[in-house]
Amino acid sequence: MYRYDEFDHEMVRQRVAQFRDQVSRRMSGELEEDAFKPLRLMNGVYLQLHAYMLRVAIPYGTLSSRQMHQLAHIARKYDRGYGHFTTRQNIQYNWPALEAIPDLLEELAEVEMHAIQTSGNCIRNVTADQYAGAIEAEVEDPRIISEIIRQWSTFHPEFSFLPRKFKIAVSGHENDRAAIRFHDIGIAIKKNDAGQIGYEVHVGGGLGRSPFIAKKIADFVKPEKLLAYLEAVMRVYNQLGRRDNSYKARIKILVHEIGADEMKRRVEVEFAKIDSRGTLDLPEAERQRIASYFAPPAFETLSNSCPEFEAACTNDAAFSKWVKTNVVAHKVDGYAIVNISLKPIGGVPGDATDVQMDSIAKIACDYSCDEIRVTHEQNLVLPHVRKMDLHTVYEALCAADLHTPNLGLISDQIACPGLDYCNLANARSIPVAQEISERFSDLDRQADIGELHIKISGCINACGHHHVGNIGILGVDKKGTEFYQLTLGGAPDEHAAIGDITGPAFTADKVVDAVENIVETYMHHRKDGEKFLQTYRRVGMAPFKERLYGSE
Amino acid sequence: MDQNKTLIIDGVIAEDIWTYIDDDAELIDGPSIVSLSRLQQDYETLKSHPFPLGLVIRAGTKQGEDVTDVANMLDAVSLVAIDFPVYRNGRGFSTARILREDYAFKGELRAIGDVLFDQLIFMHRCGFNAYSVPKTMSLDSFKSAMGMLPGAYQPASDDRRGILWQRNSR
Repeated sequence: MYRYDEFDHEMVRQRVAQFRDQVSRRMSGELEEDAFKPLRLMNGVYLQLHAYMLRVAIPYGTLSSRQMHQLAHIARKYDRGYGHFTTRQNIQYNWPALEAIPDLLEELAEVEMHAIQTSGNCIRNVTADQYAGAIEAEVEDPRIISEIIRQWSTFHPEFSFLPRKFKIAVSGHENDRAAIRFHDIGIAIKKNDAGQIGYEVHVGGGLGRSPFIAKKIADFVKPEKLLAYLEAVMRVYNQLGRRDNSYKARIKILVHEIGADEMKRRVEVEFAKIDSRGTLDLPEAERQRIASYFAPPAFETLSNSCPEFEAACTNDAAFSKWVKTNVVAHKVDGYAIVNISLKPIGGVPGDATDVQMDSIAKIACDYSCDEIRVTHEQNLVLPHVRKMDLHTVYEALCAADLHTPNLGLISDQIACPGLDYCNLANARSIPVAQEISERFSDLDRQADIGELHIKISGCINACGHHHVGNIGILGVDKKGTEFYQLTLGGAPDEHAAIGDITGPAFTADKVVDAVENIVETYMHHRKDGEKFLQTYRRVGMAPFKERLYGSE
Repeated sequence: MDQNKTLIIDGVIAEDIWTYIDDDAELIDGPSIVSLSRLQQDYETLKSHPFPLGLVIRAGTKQGEDVTDVANMLDAVSLVAIDFPVYRNGRGFSTARILREDYAFKGELRAIGDVLFDQLIFMHRCGFNAYSVPKTMSLDSFKSAMGMLPGAYQPASDDRRGILWQRNSR
């Protein structure tokens, strides 16, 4: 894992001191809310429906046990005993008192964490594949370049007041788990025929009210040139991005309006100028130094066949079921990747209590080389667990009620906070997710349905990623009543797709029935081994439409 | 000069000797600041004006004026004022770096408009050396703003190299 040096510590310390001064000026009334707003936003503090909310950055979703223990402590001391893991691999606290936030930030800084650039129109926390460094056939650990981008983009003097927020995601694997095609910039790490590493750059993806799949504008940017290339993209955007309408201000609108070819041309012109000065060429020694922080832990030499594990599978049916859904093959023999679902039946997607966070931290310390990951689907990962320890880990997770065997299944939903917390929302999201989860509470039924991703947003800003849900649910307000519009066929991965609208929206009391009708239609039409998405792509919308709305 | 503003050039409070000239008005006998479109149209005439010439670049709401349109006319100009219509509009940060780094502009680079205390250090790092700040901001306050975030992760238009480029050469 990356460790702060004295420079990183000093930058965060200065920032906390600065914010402490700003908060005290706000508390004394010297600063009005209007003047305070841009300052608090630069430190991750939002004003929500009922209270201030603090968003804490978890760079590329990687946490140590010590950091997770501290997040638990903060949930206990400053919040109501829980935190909410987000689709940006961050954690949000919904109830901190404003005057306590500087102390909270100081406690975060003790474990090398902060809330810098988790809000505002700047380059946000960089996200990456949650299986980084653990999955077979990875080109390069995406956290190396993510950390370099984190440093380059932190307090960037030119790009802290962009037309709109800016999100970068990195994937080092052919299977894209970081949704790079739905980010402002998506980076796919590639290897050329000569065995060299380079970066494929996609720009202009995004969700929100106008969803777009990002366009590829570079096939292979060399490692030492990547920051210069990114700076070129940012400069073109900062110069040309629209500032007249916040809904048209994201880079996706610019790319859409001028076209991918023109965007590529402009970026290349800018890149040539920056490159000619050479000041952003990343020194190989620094790259190696940062890469060394992400060197694999000292894995033991183990056999891939593990009698203890196999016996446990035979003797414990519940464990075996959990292994099937939540455990993924590791690149090293004798190890496994464990997914911890934060989607208990009827629960709030992404929430974890302080006790649960402490349990996970302890399990990670004892059994996962001290590492934890946060996923953009709002779950957690123990990346390096010995197969011989899997049953022990499972029992520990059971004790903390973290053992739901539903990864990738219908109850493993993404949901935004919705009208329960958010002042932008038109409709509630969490209760819909909870009702769907209850409706399909039978885990055998879920397993039979198979992989199916439901994503729910409480408004058109699409924080719940509904456009890329296999089934997407969008809450809308019609004359004071909550309605839910459904989409089918969305996918965030390497086969990126934006879902198609089924037809008229459903009321809150009908939307879960509609989801069940969609599931039954799929079950009726599916061929052997077909996932929901495959069936939908084969049969199209017609049978679903007919089931939902009757024949016309 | 706006009565509600203080002008600070190279860290010192200064008298503003410049006058903004409307597009349809005659130049005055003294340092004159013209718009980008006027510079484009009257470059030859303006170049022979016997007093210093300044250029103001407006950010606009949709896209704003593009400094690259007058790249080959900057020899006539000894001051560029870059407008920040609201603090959220950070287009001028890029304009400043383009002037300093792409065109090696050596004259005065002045931030005008909605210039926030917390943005001053970023402006400095992007190449500004003059700031039109609210009258309520004291010189001490300005200096403390300039002292914020003394480290830098990345190079820009100032003399800091960025820690990514320093760690291996310390």
